[in-house]
Amino acid sequence: MTGRRGSSLSRGSEAVHVRRRQCYQSDFADENGFKTLAERLDKIDKERGTRGNRLFYFAVGPDQFEPILKHIKTAGLNEAKEGSWARVIVEKPFGSDLASARELNRVIHNSFSEEQTYRIDHFLGKETAQNILVLRFANAIFAPLWNRRYMDHIQITAAETLGVEGRAGYYEGAGALRDMVQNHLLQLLCLVAMEAPTDLSADSIRDEKVKVVRSLRRFTADQVAENVVRAQYAEGAINGKPVPDYRKEEKVDPKSMTETFVALKLSIDNWRFWNVPVYMRVGKRLPKSATEISIHFKKAPMVLFNKETNEANVLVIRIQPDEGISLRIQAKMPGTSFRIEPVKMDFHYGTSFGKASPEAYERLLLDAMSGDATLFARRDEVEEAWAFIDKIEEAWAAKKNAPELYFYPSGSWGPDQADELLARDGRAWRRL
Amino acid sequence: MVAPGEDFDMPAETFSLGEPVELNAIGRALKKLWQEGEGAMARASLINLAIYSEKLGSLERNTQIIAKITEDHACRALVIGANPKSTENKVEAWINAHCHVTRAGSKQICSEQISFSIEGPCVAFLPNTVFSHLDSDLPLYLWWQDDLPEKMDPQLWAWVDRLIFDSQTWKNFNEQMGRVETAQQEAKQRIVLCDLNWTRLDKVRYAIAQFFDHPASHHHFAQIESVRVDFAPGFKSSAILLVGWLAAQLNWKTNQQQMNGSCRFLDANNRKIDIELRERSGAPIGEVAIESSTRFCVRPAQCGDLLEISRSGEHESAIPQMMIVRERRCFFSSRNVGPHNSDTGIHCSMPSCQ
Repeated sequence: MTGRRGSSLSRGSEAVHVRRRQCYQSDFADENGFKTLAERLDKIDKERGTRGNRLFYFAVGPDQFEPILKHIKTAGLNEAKEGSWARVIVEKPFGSDLASARELNRVIHNSFSEEQTYRIDHFLGKETAQNILVLRFANAIFAPLWNRRYMDHIQITAAETLGVEGRAGYYEGAGALRDMVQNHLLQLLCLVAMEAPTDLSADSIRDEKVKVVRSLRRFTADQVAENVVRAQYAEGAINGKPVPDYRKEEKVDPKSMTETFVALKLSIDNWRFWNVPVYMRVGKRLPKSATEISIHFKKAPMVLFNKETNEANVLVIRIQPDEGISLRIQAKMPGTSFRIEPVKMDFHYGTSFGKASPEAYERLLLDAMSGDATLFARRDEVEEAWAFIDKIEEAWAAKKNAPELYFYPSGSWGPDQADELLARDGRAWRRL
Repeated sequence: MVAPGEDFDMPAETFSLGEPVELNAIGRALKKLWQEGEGAMARASLINLAIYSEKLGSLERNTQIIAKITEDHACRALVIGANPKSTENKVEAWINAHCHVTRAGSKQICSEQISFSIEGPCVAFLPNTVFSHLDSDLPLYLWWQDDLPEKMDPQLWAWVDRLIFDSQTWKNFNEQMGRVETAQQEAKQRIVLCDLNWTRLDKVRYAIAQFFDHPASHHHFAQIESVRVDFAPGFKSSAILLVGWLAAQLNWKTNQQQMNGSCRFLDANNRKIDIELRERSGAPIGEVAIESSTRFCVRPAQCGDLLEISRSGEHESAIPQMMIVRERRCFFSSRNVGPHNSDTGIHCSMPSCQ
């Protein structure tokens, strides 16, 4: 937490917070280090009258989980004392496939129960991501439209201008599919496609979310080639400056097959979204940094203005950077003739409420301290997501007939094949 | 030659490019700009209008044009001044807002402008510069004020909804038209073409068409024997477009290639129609004379933004009338444009006669 504008911490309380902050360093493998940590925390509790609440935050490689958790357990740090709590926040990656995710969950559950485990996905901490539920379930006008009868398709784009930026060590083994789709994008899709929960409790919401992932049609190897495009950035330009191709980045294998871009066509096999395709794309070195969801509604019957309008209504949910919602509608231009132009009704969080939204991590850390797991991924959500992703990864890893890895110039919106993915359905990616 | 923007009524004052910004901070700077003006200003945008020019001083000149356009047509303007001949890469950017008080109230309606000065080989990265700063979901109009380069990123064409150019300024008409055709082929959707050279003919075309509005005049179509078009130096392409329009409307077919400024068409009955194109100083399109049993004549009036029209014949002496064809303004239309369509994209007045 910081004392920036909009934070809940005033300057005075921030100063107190900084004074009381203590740093204790130990090696992951040093069992005694964890015991010493436990003693120091107990001492602080006694001195300051704190209640012994413990929140552990794991932002380490998967191979480090087991030794750390083992030592935490040995030191008794995982057990909450009466009237207090002990929780663990786990940063992604939650494994690298279904098997490793299950193993990771097993390792975590050796020390912490599922109720104590908070798998953090900072996308869910974004104000607009949370607002999806409000938009859908607190506005009566959208609920009747949210189905195959009125929706043509859904697009989710997570674009960034950055390249691998020193994360090659991790990224080479992950790629865009594991790094972004398995967690962030599927989580966003769940919020868009879930049924109304019975209440706002964490499990009610997560019960509905996991049904969405379960409803995703699993790909066969042939379907992967047909519905998924993977690509890697080549040299090009970002903000008018030349940038190198991925294979020439530091610590990247010159023959790397890691995808920095992926576009997918997904099908949700449930009653509500049957035949409403979901197109997702995520990539590095794209022209803009933006994460947005767009709901493309079916076109109006071309009867009255058949030559004048061929545009559909689009509801856009901007997750970042300019959080907000816009609705594209057709409007008559002022004048004597029926000239129709698309216009946007725009809501910006930044200006409408007159105060900055809290940082995603700020909100999520507070939720974890409060014991609200609504915005954290549950074990079954993560495993179902991996079950879906694994089919794609398996097809890509096949020694024979693996789908091609395409290349796109940095600063473009990906390879032509990603455009063709929609073009063959008579659709096009939304312009961001 | 008509320089870009010369068709517009330009205020005399100079226009600032606005606040200089880092390229990777344009979005944040725009956000700040609007947050500061919240309440008094409303941001509006119906299109993305990108203007590209390699002419010296084009950024300031085009900023003036944007200031004028945004009075009636809210847009996000991307004004690009390029110098590809420079050997060193240099990119600079500015943000600016053009605000106009609405007729309905005191609130100001503002359009934003992002200006780029790009020098050196990085001019080739133009598509990235454009893609990075588009207002999402809105159509992209690209006004290309120079000759079209031989090679252009096909992805750019795929994003352009309307390509605005001025064939009058082209050095090699056939080559440039070939590039326009290539752009259309590479675009995945249909690009609407808008040739300012064509829209500049609006008044003359309206004036000619009005002779034949009444059905009783239609028999003259089958009696036209010759057409003469006077054009100012540098405006031959305008004259050719005008003649091409007449030929297309009346289903004439070429019979004889152009020789010494003349050519011949054949009508549906294989009757010959002689065309004469004469270079004369004066208005871009001077006198247009259509000869049948009656002589139909359109020419710029001696003063004012008017055309003088007259018809004369064996039993009819010429009584010139003045015609105001269209109010003096420029606007963007949503309809299809170009010689193959009946409406124009940017309607710009002809330069007024002196």
